Amino acid sequence: MLETYPINIWINEERFEKLKAANLADMAVDRLGGMKVIQVQCTEEQKDKILKHFPMAKFDTATTKSIELLPREVKDKIFDIAIKLKSIGPDVIDEFFKSLD
Amino acid sequence: MMDFIGHGGKEIKERILSPGEAKKKIKNLVSVEISGRIARECIDLGYGFFTPLEGFMGKADVDSVCKKMSLTDGTIWPIPIVFDISSQEIKEKGIKVGDTIVLTHTGNPLAILEVEEIFSYDKDEMAQAVLGTTDTKHPGVRMIGRMQDTFIGGKVTLVNKPQFNPPFDRFFYTPRQLRKEFKKRGWVRIVAHQTRNVPHTGHEWLMKGAWFCAHGDAPVIGNKDEIKLGTGVLVNCIIGPKRTGDYIDEAILLAHQALHDGRYFRDDVHMVSITCWDMRYAGPKEAIFHAILRTNLGCTHHMFGRDHAGVGDYYGTYDAHRIFDQLPPGSLKIKPVRVLEWWYCPVCAEVTYSGLCGHTKERQKFSGTLIRSIIKDGVKPTRVIMRPEVFDVVMECAEKYGFGSPFCTEEYLLKRNPVFVVPPLG
Ligand SMILES: [Zn+2]
Repeated sequence: MLETYPINIWINEERFEKLKAANLADMAVDRLGGMKVIQVQCTEEQKDKILKHFPMAKFDTATTKSIELLPREVKDKIFDIAIKLKSIGPDVIDEFFKSLD
Repeated sequence: MMDFIGHGGKEIKERILSPGEAKKKIKNLVSVEISGRIARECIDLGYGFFTPLEGFMGKADVDSVCKKMSLTDGTIWPIPIVFDISSQEIKEKGIKVGDTIVLTHTGNPLAILEVEEIFSYDKDEMAQAVLGTTDTKHPGVRMIGRMQDTFIGGKVTLVNKPQFNPPFDRFFYTPRQLRKEFKKRGWVRIVAHQTRNVPHTGHEWLMKGAWFCAHGDAPVIGNKDEIKLGTGVLVNCIIGPKRTGDYIDEAILLAHQALHDGRYFRDDVHMVSITCWDMRYAGPKEAIFHAILRTNLGCTHHMFGRDHAGVGDYYGTYDAHRIFDQLPPGSLKIKPVRVLEWWYCPVCAEVTYSGLCGHTKERQKFSGTLIRSIIKDGVKPTRVIMRPEVFDVVMECAEKYGFGSPFCTEEYLLKRNPVFVVPPLG
């Protein structure tokens, strides 16, 4: 399987309800006091495209191997697309880039 | 008089000239423009925040503080309070011992300094003694490193009062004003909370737990629903230099007030205030300094959590707890309240104390980094880790004061409204 790189998205109670409706609740990992995280996966190519498109973002090479510091609006949009597609796979990021055009 | 006894058993005195006296006094004096840190320390000295200090330290006191953690008279004091200046400026302006000079900030006179001593001190030695390191990755080391090559010791008197801008103005109390406030509220025990943080519920419970400790053996006065408590938490936000990525000052201050306004603390047990101080991040020694500062504010207790005033890995998690055991008995009037860790436990289903909850596998520790990433993403946290009122205020502050961000950005550092201004001497 090809390696993928996650974007962490915070899930509060309100978002968790939406995840449940999209049958994605199992994907959420409990982190702190009911705050959960889902990880939307990017391929290597998508990762590079994101880092190029959003220069403020950073790829945490050392520890989590995740894409960090994306603007809030971007993450909000990615979350909405994940719900719409009922997926947290690379198809979400493809759709996200389509929505930018 | 008894109400105004500060650290070292000395009365807290304000050293401020009236505008009339000030104008006469500063006429024809040589003036020196001072940095933000020195301006903040002049304010602290002038209002008695640093009692028993009346001015910047001379060489003997600096040396004694570095080597023995006390002033030359034996009073415990952990951090040198020094006025630095370049030898070139001293030469150019012909400043000599016996002179009085006027200190200006942003162009306006703030204080006068009586030049009692001009001396040099090895800055590496100072850093090593106070911070335990000369590593320039330590922000306190960098701060000492940035100081000029010469020091002036001598008494400081304010010739002008700083004007605090909103929203800071209503939270600034001098030590004497604060003690009057405590008296008005009927507070006999006051436990200080040192902060540079937006409070999550871990902080809230740190404060609540420390309140229990301070209040524990207090007599019950009054009946049923009208019990007079007489114990309060003083949240004392530290106002000093900021770095990008820190929470903006306005958010810290107003978020703490939001806990009050949201009734997570009763009106009669909690108040928020500010003090100007440039953190040295000296860990245990800074903890002692904080204890002294809050003694002067009139507090009877001071809470210390894990890694108090530390940075990086320079100090052990509980070094700031242990140092109080090394002080000679009676050298501090304030009592340390030493707190381990509050965490969230999904089994207990609450924020609970590491010293009580045994679910060490399941427990979820509060982490500044996690909370910051939640806030950065603007996702409202669950109320069990951050009160919705606190989150809302932080987001409002981002818009109102932070140029869209609750964290300091270059833009904020450049364009923010200053915490205080020194007005022209009118
Ligand atoms: Zn538990």
